[in-house]
Amino acid sequence: MARSIRTRSAPSLLRPLVAALLAALPATALPAQKPARLPLDNYTLPNGLQVILAEDHTAPVVAVDVTYHVGSRDESPGRTGFAHLFEHMMFQGSAHVKKGEHMAMLEAAGSAGYNGSTIEDRTNYYEPLPSNRLNLGLWLEADRMRSLAVTDENFSNQREAVKEERRLRVDNQPYTKILYEEGYKAIDSAGCYPYSHSIIGSMDDLNAATTADVQQFFKLYYAPNNATLVVTGDFQPAEAKKLIAQYFGDIPRAPTPPAVSCQPRYDAGARRERVQDTKATLPAVMKYYTIPAYDSPDYPALELLGTIVGRGASSRLNRSLAREQKVALTSQTFVNLFGPRRGPGAFVVFAIANKGIAIDTVEARLDDQIAKLAGGITDEELARAKSSWRASAIRERSQAVTLAAAIQRANLFLGDPNSLDADFDRYAAVTADDVKRVAAKYLHPENSYTFIDSAEAK
Amino acid sequence: MTTARSIGALALTLALAASTAAAQFPTTPPPAAPLKPTKLPPLHETTLPNGVRLVVVESHKLPVIALTLGMRAGDFTDPAGKEGLAQLTATLLGKGAGSRTAEQVSAAIEGAGGSLGAGTSADALTVNASALSDKAALAFELLGDAVARPTFDQKEVDLAKTQTLSSLQLQNSQPSTVAQRVFNRELYGTTAYAKSATPASVGAITRDDILGFYASRVKPRGAVLVVSGDIDLPTATRLANAALKGWTGAPAAVPALGAPRKRTKTEIVLVHRPSSVQANVIVGAPTFAGTDPRTYALLVANRVLGGGSASRLFRILREEKSWTYGSYSSFSWNRGVGAFGATVEARNAVVDSALVELLAQLRRLRTEPIPATEFAGARDAIVGSFPLAVETAQQLGGTIARARLLGFPADYVSMYRTRVAAITPARAQAVAKQVIDPDAALVVVVGDATVLRDRLAKIAPVRVVRPDGQPVAESDLAGPKAGSGIDVSKLVAAHDSFAVLVQGNPFGSSVRTVEKTADGVRISERSVLGPIMSQNTDVVIGTDGAMKSVAQRGTVQGMETKIDAAYAGGRVKGAATTVSQAGPRSVSYDTTVVAGTIDDNAVTTVIPTLAWSLNATFTLPVFASGEGVARTVTLKVTGKQSVTVPAGTFDAYLVEMSGGPVPVNIYVTTAAPYRVVKTAPVGPPIELVLVK
Repeated sequence: MARSIRTRSAPSLLRPLVAALLAALPATALPAQKPARLPLDNYTLPNGLQVILAEDHTAPVVAVDVTYHVGSRDESPGRTGFAHLFEHMMFQGSAHVKKGEHMAMLEAAGSAGYNGSTIEDRTNYYEPLPSNRLNLGLWLEADRMRSLAVTDENFSNQREAVKEERRLRVDNQPYTKILYEEGYKAIDSAGCYPYSHSIIGSMDDLNAATTADVQQFFKLYYAPNNATLVVTGDFQPAEAKKLIAQYFGDIPRAPTPPAVSCQPRYDAGARRERVQDTKATLPAVMKYYTIPAYDSPDYPALELLGTIVGRGASSRLNRSLAREQKVALTSQTFVNLFGPRRGPGAFVVFAIANKGIAIDTVEARLDDQIAKLAGGITDEELARAKSSWRASAIRERSQAVTLAAAIQRANLFLGDPNSLDADFDRYAAVTADDVKRVAAKYLHPENSYTFIDSAEAK
Repeated sequence: MTTARSIGALALTLALAASTAAAQFPTTPPPAAPLKPTKLPPLHETTLPNGVRLVVVESHKLPVIALTLGMRAGDFTDPAGKEGLAQLTATLLGKGAGSRTAEQVSAAIEGAGGSLGAGTSADALTVNASALSDKAALAFELLGDAVARPTFDQKEVDLAKTQTLSSLQLQNSQPSTVAQRVFNRELYGTTAYAKSATPASVGAITRDDILGFYASRVKPRGAVLVVSGDIDLPTATRLANAALKGWTGAPAAVPALGAPRKRTKTEIVLVHRPSSVQANVIVGAPTFAGTDPRTYALLVANRVLGGGSASRLFRILREEKSWTYGSYSSFSWNRGVGAFGATVEARNAVVDSALVELLAQLRRLRTEPIPATEFAGARDAIVGSFPLAVETAQQLGGTIARARLLGFPADYVSMYRTRVAAITPARAQAVAKQVIDPDAALVVVVGDATVLRDRLAKIAPVRVVRPDGQPVAESDLAGPKAGSGIDVSKLVAAHDSFAVLVQGNPFGSSVRTVEKTADGVRISERSVLGPIMSQNTDVVIGTDGAMKSVAQRGTVQGMETKIDAAYAGGRVKGAATTVSQAGPRSVSYDTTVVAGTIDDNAVTTVIPTLAWSLNATFTLPVFASGEGVARTVTLKVTGKQSVTVPAGTFDAYLVEMSGGPVPVNIYVTTAAPYRVVKTAPVGPPIELVLVK
């Protein structure tokens, strides 16, 4: 193990005082279990590429994660779905990698679970590898950053694949029409277009996209100064740094991409809509409340609120709607469906009716639960939500690839990769009053958009 | 101009360029360093006094632990007619156990930063728990209570059944789930792995069934408990013994697994999903037990074909043809015979092309030797990626638990890479040939049959079924059209009396007489509902089963009602006055009706003539002669239960009638001649119950 546990001891004069304070505190306030501090090496190449290394020799595996700071929020009207379509192009070959070879090389090297993903704020590419093939992962990422093969043939092929993906995920599934698409309407588009349209994009916009658009997008956003490279796992830092300098060092920087503008509002009025869903067999209700960005001081309390209301068997929705009243087959919350955002997001409350139960009944019971939050939450509920949060924050460090994603998240959304460690204190500090306050501030009707899924399939 | 001096300068420049080239971007992929050995955390094993095999995967990297307790009590042990029992029992294990209610169990484990859950696979029942490691004792205690001291509270049983029934309905909306379920049922035929829960089988499960299943199958002997993470063997042993105290004994003998029959020719089972924009396709065949030595060769052959994104199916169907978002193949590892399956999801317009190509790729794997580079890529992918599959203590623990439950030897993990590396191209192809045959495959397609059937029929014979496996009527594929009328031979003379109950209290009566006459059948119904309504209805049906006439006279709250309708030559002509909440209403009509149309006053009369069974559905063209409108009425069996009415206790199908003004539940005897014993509209508290 390369990691060392560094303990900072309090100055000797203060020790008796600290001991007295600890003794006076109830047991629940004792320091909660958290993982050892994560030592990170964070530096930037002359061309603007940010590099973060986290060494750990527990298992003979490494992960390479390149996150480009571009997502659907950077799309303009008429160009929806473009960031995600572009992600597909990144697997189509580059100057020294023929079409189809990217995946073949990775798989023959023993990579498993490599992929790319696009959300509102970023597009990432990652490959877990056996540690003897770190060089291949870095080389493939560098080759496509410097010389992506944007051809008409590749482009029309991937546009079709994305259209199939849209059919698979959205058009042919129950409930996803709202979750993937309609739900974005909850964000006021007049003040904030970037977060009010879907990632997957419309079929019309996908059809209208041209190869020239793709080339332009690549030049503007896929430059080293708009990306962060994270390497985690079983590597020797000196050797990794040498390879990174050699492979990425001479890729030219590009002009800074245009800034994204967004003025969120949290009082757009109570809106509602019925969505026809010929794929659903049970009706559902989804309530969207607009919430602030990930770096807002309110965010940890909102995330814990999400757990208390609708995540886990002991959550309020599961206990009331599913178990006591038996009106819902499932009821839960999502705090931003696809990940954090640097702009307004959605606190989603979602319930599917039990067989034979009217959706109006389910919605009324859901509203009861939201209204009840005015009475606050119990200390026990808060302690439970914090334990769940802490355990998941610890578990995401267990694999090189999930750790790399966590580092990227802290870096992009909180502006500092070390905030991954600091978050343990940020969440520990949330009080029951904080949770009550954010519930009142954001979960009110004037900040809501209600969707009723009609369930028309037989 | 070339001079000696300039040549010297050029040489120097070249030499410099060569020396800096080492630091420039290489134009070919860098070579691999030697593969490192898989570095596994320490494994410890012991057998507890009650027979549970305890395996500890010790890793103190992070302060978390995970527990998996598994036993051979999977879905294959479900008794016939009670499919879903193993799953339901598993679900209930943690819903109230020891001194805690279900609420207290979930609050306790979530307060420890973990979760507690249980479920079943085809072979095994497993209970899982996780927690922050300073709460290890609590995680053991909750897991121990779940398996050794479950309470199976009736209230929890009822809730779990309700949720299972809703889940089954939800699954019907998910095409990949429907495809997998139909594939399994068709592939495994009548063998134990074909078992899958239905609304009727779940509806039939009682608390006693669950207690019986628990008492005979949830037993420690032969079970395996894998504990992984921040814990050592002595602690795990102590905590496990304390938590499982009092849990003893051996499970009952398990049913034989049987071997599914091999197909002799390819057949397409098309599951009709109206308005689907895409179709989900599975092509497959039975394989062999997971522990069969051929498993490793099939693993490599499958990787060549469709195991990854560099495999043939993905490369060709997605990257070359643009027909799909993904196409893969895989095979299940079972204790008994497993299944191979290749999948593709494609838009309607290209489903047939995608299937033809997929079958061609199966054939190619049999007929063409696998090129050496392609083979090495597939084999190295499996060998190289193994450290990623066991990167964390929890992953390794899960792998060990699955391997033990499948019956693999203890060296499974340590020898895995060696065994895969030993496979040759010839061996991989030989095993693939034994299993994968495009001319004797089961093909399941979930999609809109009205669009796909004719095109798929050009590839192989097509059988169209519903998601529950029952055949689809032609009328469902072409929208409502001609029915076949009534089978008069099945109408027997009868005289049935019903009591009308409102909120359980007698409020009126209805007497129905069926008599055979020379020119057909006459049905007379006399109904009285307290002082509110009285009504006499006469329906005549011809010997050919076609409607002839309906005559109704009555009063509703003092207002007269009447219907006179005559059916002939594909038309109905008539007039009616009825009373609704808005007052009396009159209509007259002279209109065409599709052949086989039944008057809505005769729908209950038709019931004895239909072939009833569990899961039966009938779609009837109906004319409402009181309103002058045509409708399509569906009668669907949704369950089976015992019904007690004044005339006695009957085993009856619950038939949901929909398509009329209000949905109605009708209870029909399970034995012929089928009789209606109870009728109840959904909502209003009114019932008609058979008196004699």
